[in-house]
Amino acid sequence: MKTIGADHIKDLCAGAAFLATGGGGDPYVSQLQAERLLTKFGPAQLLSPLDVPDDFFVVSVGMVGAPTVTLEQLPTEEETVGALNQYEALTGKKVDAVIPFEIGGGNSTIPLFVAAMKGIPCVDGDGMGRALPEAQMMTFPIYGVPPTPAVIMDAFGHYELLECDDALTFEKTIRAKAVAMGGMISSAEHGMTGQLVKRCAIPHTLSFATELGRLLRSHGGVIDVIQDRLTTLFEESEYGVFKHLFTGKVIDSKRTIIGGYDVGTALLQSFNHSDTTMEILIKNEYLVAKIGDKVVASVPDLICIVEQESSRPLNAERMRYGQRVSVFGIGCPRHYRSPDALAVTAPRAFGFDLDYVPLEDIKA
Amino acid sequence: MRIGIDVGGTHTDAVLMDGARIVTSHKALTSSDVRRGLMEALDAVMLEAQINADAIDAVMIGTTHFTNAVIERKELSQTAIIRACLPTGSGLPPKCDWPADLSAALGDHAYMIGGGHLFNGKEIAPLDERALDDAIDKIIDQDIKAIAVAASFSPAVANHELLMAKRIRQRIPDANISLSHEIGRLGILERENAALLNASLGNLAARVVSSMQAALEQRNLTCPFYVSQNDGTLMSADYIARYPALTFSSGPTNSLRGAAVLTGISDAIVVDIGGTTADVGVLANGFPRESNSYIDVGGVRTNFRMPDILSIGLGGGSLVHDDGGRLGPQSVGHRLVSAGLAFGGATLTATDIAVANGSTAVGDMTGVAHLDAGLVERATLTMHAMIDEAVDKMRPSEQPVPVILVGGGSILISRHLQTASTVIRPEHAGVANAIGAAIAQVGGEVEHIVSYSRESREKAMTYATTQARSKAIAAGADPDTLRVLDIEETTMSYMDDDAAKIRIKVVGNLRQFL
Repeated sequence: MKTIGADHIKDLCAGAAFLATGGGGDPYVSQLQAERLLTKFGPAQLLSPLDVPDDFFVVSVGMVGAPTVTLEQLPTEEETVGALNQYEALTGKKVDAVIPFEIGGGNSTIPLFVAAMKGIPCVDGDGMGRALPEAQMMTFPIYGVPPTPAVIMDAFGHYELLECDDALTFEKTIRAKAVAMGGMISSAEHGMTGQLVKRCAIPHTLSFATELGRLLRSHGGVIDVIQDRLTTLFEESEYGVFKHLFTGKVIDSKRTIIGGYDVGTALLQSFNHSDTTMEILIKNEYLVAKIGDKVVASVPDLICIVEQESSRPLNAERMRYGQRVSVFGIGCPRHYRSPDALAVTAPRAFGFDLDYVPLEDIKA
Repeated sequence: MRIGIDVGGTHTDAVLMDGARIVTSHKALTSSDVRRGLMEALDAVMLEAQINADAIDAVMIGTTHFTNAVIERKELSQTAIIRACLPTGSGLPPKCDWPADLSAALGDHAYMIGGGHLFNGKEIAPLDERALDDAIDKIIDQDIKAIAVAASFSPAVANHELLMAKRIRQRIPDANISLSHEIGRLGILERENAALLNASLGNLAARVVSSMQAALEQRNLTCPFYVSQNDGTLMSADYIARYPALTFSSGPTNSLRGAAVLTGISDAIVVDIGGTTADVGVLANGFPRESNSYIDVGGVRTNFRMPDILSIGLGGGSLVHDDGGRLGPQSVGHRLVSAGLAFGGATLTATDIAVANGSTAVGDMTGVAHLDAGLVERATLTMHAMIDEAVDKMRPSEQPVPVILVGGGSILISRHLQTASTVIRPEHAGVANAIGAAIAQVGGEVEHIVSYSRESREKAMTYATTQARSKAIAAGADPDTLRVLDIEETTMSYMDDDAAKIRIKVVGNLRQFL
């Protein structure tokens, strides 16, 4: 069995920031916490979803709420593992392994140290293969895992058992609870059998993000130099398709907060042809990329933007005039190709009036 | 008249100014002895202008002393930190991300106690006074005087930090206390790091201030003196001992302010080209634009308010590579005057290109006469392209902007820049830092949490502005010259009754320079 220890965390966080498609916030606090706890409790055991025994009981863990809160109230060991402990106590079920909600941003590291603290493995996979803003967009509910019973816990150790009929109600409920309970809560949810893990989980994303992050960090220079290696890495992975979409500079970036979403657009101008521009539509994450009127990539496919000179992933919050960037389109994992998945993750689910066209079907 | 002195790592610049007029200026290597270095700088400008001490109304000093102390881990005090956050927020204890040598220089004196606030302004817990007293007992036992205090969400609600400071002051009357909310922003790790560094420098600051005072006294200068801070305003001598860390970026800040004074332009991009790097900053409304991201000081993440500076590896001593296609980041630095071709050396540098293309009269043309014209042209274009790209990254939009070139390496840029509406090379650009230090403006700043459902926005703003004005006047500002420099309004999402945080900053001239 593979393991992930403190030494791997910087790589994992860099890879997760790339796969976060502009969302996920500043990973610094979760990175530090993961390094501390994996040093204290030892490396986390990684279990391939293909190897999870059918009768294993697996629960997804992570945090929900406003990332700003964790910058002021640095999460404790107890509150991150506490929701899972109470889950076991309240449901009477022993949890055999944990799995991340999403691979993008801070939630990719939390299950690792929770696993290390509990002495159970963490499934090498997740429920998004990227970052997405809402619970009903996870592959777990899309492929039939009920989100509840779920146990949430706040920073004081107050906990609550949630029961909801469907993923959309669960999303609205847990979001409201987060606001009421101090702005940030940890959650243990989407309990599933090993058999369901095989069907729902996007496999091997933790080890993939670590490998991706290692490549980005060890290089650290102009992204063009490692483009071939990135192409190979993605083509041989669950994602399959990797396309360079654009290289240019940011000439405009507009943002506002609407209904809790960070909404806006960014305009990029090509280095080689100054009349060629790319528009990026943003709602927390980069969701649609257009060249002129033509859509060249759209959610659930991944749109990843890096600073051209340093290969560092560029967070949407940090985008501003003058930055030199490269934009890549990456095929979404096959789990997102079904009608059920597209119903909750295609551009229309975010209010954009356009159909999803798979990245590989779009001709230049 | 007043004297501005900028004490950099390598050079100490001094100017004597009469109003906006530069009477005389001087450049010398920085002395390791603060007092002697200042006396030499004072002598140089006062002797040259042949004026007496009583003609000087004020002396303004910019110094990199405190930045260097952190970087070199020298002369830092043993420093305690008390963080009020329990029962939450203990996952990452104070200093957990510090380099071991810097952490050791401040010692192992971290305490976490009950207190702090939630994002919505509610108390996490009442401040745990017993735990606070226990921590103070230990601090007294170890004879520590430098103490930083931090509390969760203190930038929004500061009263637990204020209570902690009050109690410490009662029990350790000579304590040097840094309150995190006075120094940093949201993000408790970075804010308490900033407060810790500030507290650890208090002792050194007191010594440096008395050296400065001694230098002035020995030259019979009885006028007040001020130190320039990160935001481009001055602080009086008694403030430095409390806020030494607010001088960390005074070098780049002073060059930005100096460029504004030299040109009379308040909105521009300033490019300060030295021996090894070019520092590009933004002047907005006459003051430096602040950075939004974290600032690394000696290997520690902090969130001071610091100017947004982009440094690129191009300076007068930069090496020329690839037949002029690439320059820097390697540089001969201050050895330029012996190593460069135009100075009889054997190394092809950026300055040699400027000599060869005829844009400067410094150096000896014969040393560069053999250079291939194609190489000289290519290197010239490369240098301009590098500066153009850096300006483009920093300018606020695609609109061409005035570009002001300062610093000894500004001779590298002799042609127009595509990003610039106009390129300005002011006279005395070599001592822009000292001129920036000699500016005579002081500021006042307040931060209030207000509720627009309880009072109108206008009323809240007026009250905050009045408070900021009082602070500036207390710091020595002439009330008639005060103007609002910056208003920052942040709505606090999820908070009850329409809460917002407003920060207002006013600046004005020092009273004695009407």
